[in-house]
Amino acid sequence: MSGTTVDPITLTVIWNTLMSIAEELGTTLRNTAFSEGVREGDDFATAIFDRTGRLIAQGNFSPGHLGSMPACVQHAIDYFPPETLRPGDSILLNDSFMCSGHFPDTFQVMPIFVDDALVGYVACSAHQVDMGGAAPGSQKVHGVTESFQEGLRILPVRFVRGGAIDEDILRLVLGNVRMPDKVRGDLLAQHTANLSAAARLQQLFREHGDETLATAYEIILDRSEAAMREALAVVPAGTYSFDDCMDDYGPDTAPIKIAVDVTFDGVGAVELDFSRSSDVVPAAINSYINYTRAYAIFAIKVFCDALQPQTAGSMRPITVTAREGSFFNPAFPAPSGGRAILQIRIFDAINGAIAQALPHRAMGAFAHWSNPNIGGISDETGRPFVMYDLSLAGYGGRQGKDGVEALSPVMNCSNIPVEVHETHNPVRVRRLEFIPDTGGAGQWRGGCGLRKDIELLNSTAVLSHLGDRHRFQPYGLFGGEPGALGETLLNPNGNAQPLHSKGMYDLKQGDVVSFRLSGAGGYGPVADRDRAAIAQDLADGYVTDEGAMNDYGWEPAAE
Amino acid sequence: MIRVAFDIGGTFTDFVLHDGNSGSSHFLKIPSTPDDPGRAVLAGLESLFQAADIEAGDVASILHATTVATNAVLERKGAPTGLITTEGFRDVLIIGRQKRYETYDLYIAKPEPLVPRRHIVEVGERLDNDGAVVSPLDMASVDRAIDALLASDRQTVAVSLLHAYANPAHEQAIRARIEERAPELSVSLSSDVAPKFREYERTNTTAANAYIKPIVERYIEGLQDALRQRGYDRDLFIMQSSGGLVSPAIAKDYPIRIIESGPAAGVLMGGIVGKAQGREHVITFDMGGTTAKLGAVDGGAPAIMPTFEIDHVRYKKGSGLPINVPAVELLEIGAGGGSIARVEMGMIAVGPDSAGAAPGPICYGQGGTLPTITDANLVLGYLDPDWFNGGAMALDKDAAARGIMRDIGEPLDLEPGAAAWGIHLVATMNMENALRIVSVEQGRDPRRYAMIAFGGAGPLHAARLARSVGIPEVIVPFGAGVGSAIGLLQAAPRIDVSTTRVMLLDANAGPAIAQVYAELEERAQKDIAQFDNAAPPQWSRHGYMRYAGQGFEVQVPLPDGPIEGDFGARAMEAFNAAYLQKHKFLDPDARIEAVDWTLVATLPSGQEGAVIGQAHALDTPRRSGSRLAWFPEAGGYVETQIVDRQALANGATITGPAIIEDPDSTTVVLPGDVARISGPGHLIIDIAREAAP
Repeated sequence: MSGTTVDPITLTVIWNTLMSIAEELGTTLRNTAFSEGVREGDDFATAIFDRTGRLIAQGNFSPGHLGSMPACVQHAIDYFPPETLRPGDSILLNDSFMCSGHFPDTFQVMPIFVDDALVGYVACSAHQVDMGGAAPGSQKVHGVTESFQEGLRILPVRFVRGGAIDEDILRLVLGNVRMPDKVRGDLLAQHTANLSAAARLQQLFREHGDETLATAYEIILDRSEAAMREALAVVPAGTYSFDDCMDDYGPDTAPIKIAVDVTFDGVGAVELDFSRSSDVVPAAINSYINYTRAYAIFAIKVFCDALQPQTAGSMRPITVTAREGSFFNPAFPAPSGGRAILQIRIFDAINGAIAQALPHRAMGAFAHWSNPNIGGISDETGRPFVMYDLSLAGYGGRQGKDGVEALSPVMNCSNIPVEVHETHNPVRVRRLEFIPDTGGAGQWRGGCGLRKDIELLNSTAVLSHLGDRHRFQPYGLFGGEPGALGETLLNPNGNAQPLHSKGMYDLKQGDVVSFRLSGAGGYGPVADRDRAAIAQDLADGYVTDEGAMNDYGWEPAAE
Repeated sequence: MIRVAFDIGGTFTDFVLHDGNSGSSHFLKIPSTPDDPGRAVLAGLESLFQAADIEAGDVASILHATTVATNAVLERKGAPTGLITTEGFRDVLIIGRQKRYETYDLYIAKPEPLVPRRHIVEVGERLDNDGAVVSPLDMASVDRAIDALLASDRQTVAVSLLHAYANPAHEQAIRARIEERAPELSVSLSSDVAPKFREYERTNTTAANAYIKPIVERYIEGLQDALRQRGYDRDLFIMQSSGGLVSPAIAKDYPIRIIESGPAAGVLMGGIVGKAQGREHVITFDMGGTTAKLGAVDGGAPAIMPTFEIDHVRYKKGSGLPINVPAVELLEIGAGGGSIARVEMGMIAVGPDSAGAAPGPICYGQGGTLPTITDANLVLGYLDPDWFNGGAMALDKDAAARGIMRDIGEPLDLEPGAAAWGIHLVATMNMENALRIVSVEQGRDPRRYAMIAFGGAGPLHAARLARSVGIPEVIVPFGAGVGSAIGLLQAAPRIDVSTTRVMLLDANAGPAIAQVYAELEERAQKDIAQFDNAAPPQWSRHGYMRYAGQGFEVQVPLPDGPIEGDFGARAMEAFNAAYLQKHKFLDPDARIEAVDWTLVATLPSGQEGAVIGQAHALDTPRRSGSRLAWFPEAGGYVETQIVDRQALANGATITGPAIIEDPDSTTVVLPGDVARISGPGHLIIDIAREAAP
């Protein structure tokens, strides 16, 4: 076979095999991981690169690691140029700027050799349970003002040499993290998963030869680029802007402006610029550019090209920028451990902008999620406990459809069952239910907010809250109303005390914290809502009589 | 002893009549009658009795697999259902686990819950995770709940309270109250149906049980009536998803246990055939018109999972409704004869969209316009246009070739043969990915496994699929066309019970484990008492365990025999062995946590090991000669010998390339592979090339 062409059947075989390798790498990692992020939230990524570090194929896992992976591999190659690498080597790094924007995500990049020649790389990332620093989980937001409080920063190191893990490096890492057994288990799981992918990739090269693979790679990159350009060219040319605000970054702090200008050139390229947003903030929720880029690309994929493969080619027509020193492009050592809360807002902002160009694809803003941790020393066992929780509520309305109730937005996570929480932690969940009348009214209603009340059974504990949309409502579109504000209350049935969405609080036995997520935004004029849909909502209790009257002018007697 | 098995599928009802004395069998396949499944059953029994020259009274037992429970859920045709749950937790069923089955698609919908929110009512009560009462059951709230359900004409009610797996008292009190006030309501308790923790999965399982209970009850009673009218009044057994038989009474109480009835029988058949060939480890590969299903038998026992999903979207994990009862491990993907091929980014893609049976592949000539895997197999010469389904249907090869050229060949500049080969190859690769999940990713070494291929398209694709992962032997069973019905014949009655008891294992865990199993055995004995069976059951135990902190448990076979002082240590050893096999490493410093416990009672049926081979098959036209078929190893189309399967019965062997035909399946033998018929009548293919796993 010549070096300039690959027949379509061979190409199909190579492509399917690459996808299969990237997916299998991910399932291996998920099944052996300890961290909740990896096993429940798919908070990891897997990918295959060519010898120059271009992304060729990836598993369909975390969008956040996805856009970060190409930059991360380039940084690894910068530190370890190809001539310094040997078979059996693997590079480890977790730097916030080089990787996915916070320390818990460790990346391992393994060079692949066939007959002593470097043919490419496989890489995977995983969200570790802990990387040291100010608080368990290394994601404390409030009171963290520089990265050095966030734990261990690993610039690229040769973690595996000649097939053997460098025990010195491992000891250095494990000496700085809270749960060394689990971190070690996950680091080994990452390495083992990379090894299995490497073996299959070597087999692919042996079967088809270096030259055929090189040609196939170019074809895959060119075609995925062409497919993305074709999808982008459909969007009318123009600049579409949207501004929104996050509540703040802690008690008594100012709102954070989230502003984006999205420019489609009408012939197949798009630029997303976050420069008009706020400056970097002294709390650990800044979004490094890799992270900003990752979720910007995710949003573009959702709107234009959801199920096409992502490669270096498909990313070429997408440019993501933000002013240096801004919230979306900070410089080291800006703290960033809790930046996950941004992903939903990066998407919301782009969605608000693109709604002007693609009204039929946009949706009202999401109900925001909440990610509180309640931790302390268990009275019963004398050991530390952390109740790590995720509350996820509704989607915004979109053309032709009400918002889906209680589905994970952007980030793709499972919730944690009440019975599991109560088995492992000294807490009792008192309520978990939709809050009626919170979904933004509209021709198509937004999904409801969600209420979760948690009682502390232990003598004391500390709540680290991470939520939002307590001050700025999730927006509606095209005449749809915004969703209701969220709130957090301490002891809602007695002397209810409002809690801040990003505060830390001491709790005592019997305290109940009521987390009430905002509702999602509506879509289309309220007056155009189908009366039968209102009647259905009333029957199911998503809307009360009073809410229907206020929002839609519903008069029970007249209907 | 004469026994009859039948499997009612969506399209066909399959029968086997087996005479244990003479060892002879009769097979039959007739179209199902979905409006009244019993009609096909009676018609089929009639012809079988005639063929075997027996009376209904000669039959000792009847064994049955059915899709009635599955279809009621898939088509959302269950009975009007209500749900009673703990105050504050009305929305557990609707919230679900919240993860999207497609990360990059924000436009997907969640599965429609089986009970709408308006029919979910709360009662005042609360238990903790040890089963202790935090708040007593408020009977006034129970009465209000019953009033509400009666006012909205519910026929069946699920009761699922928080932590009821640890203490059934509140659920039982609610049932007693319902029986007192509204005895016509059918009731399902989560503490009976699926007493394991994780409230969404348990509630959904219980709701599904309630939802299909009136349907399955009517169905089984109708079937029993029909059989009685035909003069049969002895045992009727029904296949459960776990591969064991159960009495009609238990199936009516727990219809959720028979959801995967047919597929379970298929995997069981794989185990039986494997055993007959001296193969303890087999992968079952069942490829039909719309999907391919892969299952496994390890060490002679069908692999069982503690939970499965029903009503998937595009076969995506997490897209369906989780069901917390044991079922055979099955991976289903959208690759069947009707799967549609297309070009994407200059490459060939196949499925999961399917032309199904209607309009079907282009070559059926029934209105299908999109090229499918069956069209490709016809153009490749693997299928004979004049002898599909034993000549029951003529296929239009030219139309298939034209469709393939239009959609695949011309856009990619390929000849018809190469384009068809591309479709076949991509379909094989899709199945290979699924096979890797079932084998390598589960710690099963393909080189130690045989593949049992059945279903309309299984034997045609099996050899290449086996070769792709290094499986050394393919077995196309005798009677492949009625495979599931054969599986029924050798099934034994079986009771599965399980519970959640989270504990850290150490050397002193023995007494706590003994306590769990004393409770489980008591529950199992209640069901066993329903069987008229003198022989004592065989017990087997499994724990579902993990390293403390992990989220996925591994299935751990626990030692048999009395649970004594050293059982904690033995359980830990068993965990280490199971974990090592699956994940290839151990963490000696991590603590081991057990979560769920299961106990299985198998009642000896006396039929294990019955030989099914040497059946009376109808005389079929002798197939022989040759035609052009595509083998890339041979450079494309080559003259390929066509062999009648029966012609191999004399012990002859044949080396591929070859195509072996019998009335209900076509088997492709690849160049270099060797095929023969074994003593028990199965077609064996030795796969020549060792491919890396």
